[in-house]
Amino acid sequence: MGKKVKQPSCRLNFSEKIYAPEAVRLAAYVFSDIADIGLFPSGKGLGAEIPCGEGRASLAGEFANEVLNQQCRLDLAAKNGKISSIIVTKALLSASGETGKKRAKQ
Amino acid sequence: MIQNPQKPKNESKAVKAGPPQFYWRKVGGQYLVTNDFGFHSWLTETEFKRLSLGLSGKKDKLFEELAPKGFVRNMLDFADLASKWRSKNSHLSAGPGLHILVTTLRCNHKCVYCQAGAVKKASSGTEMSWPTARRCVDFAFQTTAPELTLEFQGGEPLLNWEVVKKTAVYARKKEESTGKALKLALVSNFSLMTEEKAAFLLENEVSLCTSLDGPADLHNLNRNYLGGNSHAKTRKWLNYFTAKNKKQPAGYRVFKPSALLTVTRASLGRHKEIIDEYVGLGLEDIFVRALSPIGYAKKSWDTIGYSPAEFIAFYAASLDYILQLNRKGVQVREKTAVMLLEKILAFSEPGYLDVRCPCGAAIGQVAYNCNGDIYPCDEGRMLAWEGDDLFKIGNVSKDSYKKVLSSPVVKSCLMTSELHLQPECSRCAYNPYCGVCPVYNYTVQGSLWGNMPSNERCALMKGLFDLLFLKLRNPKDREILQKWVKK
Repeated sequence: MGKKVKQPSCRLNFSEKIYAPEAVRLAAYVFSDIADIGLFPSGKGLGAEIPCGEGRASLAGEFANEVLNQQCRLDLAAKNGKISSIIVTKALLSASGETGKKRAKQ
Repeated sequence: MIQNPQKPKNESKAVKAGPPQFYWRKVGGQYLVTNDFGFHSWLTETEFKRLSLGLSGKKDKLFEELAPKGFVRNMLDFADLASKWRSKNSHLSAGPGLHILVTTLRCNHKCVYCQAGAVKKASSGTEMSWPTARRCVDFAFQTTAPELTLEFQGGEPLLNWEVVKKTAVYARKKEESTGKALKLALVSNFSLMTEEKAAFLLENEVSLCTSLDGPADLHNLNRNYLGGNSHAKTRKWLNYFTAKNKKQPAGYRVFKPSALLTVTRASLGRHKEIIDEYVGLGLEDIFVRALSPIGYAKKSWDTIGYSPAEFIAFYAASLDYILQLNRKGVQVREKTAVMLLEKILAFSEPGYLDVRCPCGAAIGQVAYNCNGDIYPCDEGRMLAWEGDDLFKIGNVSKDSYKKVLSSPVVKSCLMTSELHLQPECSRCAYNPYCGVCPVYNYTVQGSLWGNMPSNERCALMKGLFDLLFLKLRNPKDREILQKWVKK
């Protein structure tokens, strides 16, 4: 068995004041095919350990962008979730042949 | 999208309320403003600031132009605006209209970009059987859409001719018994077309579409044909079907054949030759489509792919040339432009399933693999062929129509392509006309949502819209583009 060589990594802290822990977790999930992102509690928020060795210099920045993307998405869902849900439900009901109206009790 | 901008000191009632929600983008030195109803307007910087702060009242000249378009809060004509919105979003009240039957995965071409995942002629387990095809038709006829199109695709569908033939006859009978309008379409490379097959297809009113990538050297470079000259065969049969279309027989309609262009790296810089090839064959529509790095094309992207900027430059040159031909009296239209302009100028839903909100996944189209597996779109099916079955939503032998349509995959595709929930899109000026593709996002960026600021498809769409809106600003170009929509 060869000795494990520790890869260089960078640490980023995502303050809960700006980033919901869910946004950081979602970003780590999106990156799961690209790199192993380690998450850990960091003050009032989450920290992320991102590999940044050779050829991966931009990975930390890209990860931070994805966290921001996920946070914006969560904020937007809170704001526009209702109208989006109405639009999608309408499309689904029309396509599946449902009227969307509850049957009156006999 | 602007809400609650800073208010001036001398505010009238209109100013107090501020403008209703709108989107904006600075293009070519001016501000393009759009809204959810599909209206657009060009403003100078001063006009834009005044709109953002709220117009001062009816005496304002800008007011005359912007009020009927729904940009002035206290002058909203709700009946008209709602009717525009409804017409532009009519797909929300329909059901899946396009049903793609992959009758075989075999193909006698080996195209450099083929997403269909062609396999050699001798491969087994790649044919759609007649019982499966019949179940697909039965499934498709359950659609809530008032009319449906059954499209035979492949591979090369003519390699499974007997099943195509039986399916077409069965579907026509089903049309009669159900009363649901049916269109039949076949997408073929024409290399296996014969007089006998052609006669059957014409008599059954099957519309025909092929691939044409340009002049012989370019077409044959992209579309390797194991049996010889693909370009010559394509031309031969395009001419044949065009001639049949001109001499309409009694008893049935013969549709004009159409062709699809796939732009590869080798096409760049050759727009004139490609368009001349189409015009020379009497084709009046040319669909300048960008390649997507999905399926087989992903593997060879370094050789055949290009950046969004490279494609936009090619598209711009193509559109300029097509407009130039139009000015000379040649009848030819660019199909992407036509479909986007139908949304921009006619407030209609052109059935451009890749570019609408939510996307056409299952609510607009359904793809049936040769083994009866069902996918919300053909791109999802191609991904499965590459080994990732994430987008599978059922099988015609096992699952009911309702179960398939209410699959969690369908719901996810719709939610992730609903632009009000996409960070960049929810503020974009092209939001009222655009759409995202969850399969593309998943393939390229690792999630159905994607990340639009770094998304190349988004860059490409923005480039296309920028170009089209700038063309619309030019009165001479606008006149031609308006005719394309009315046609």
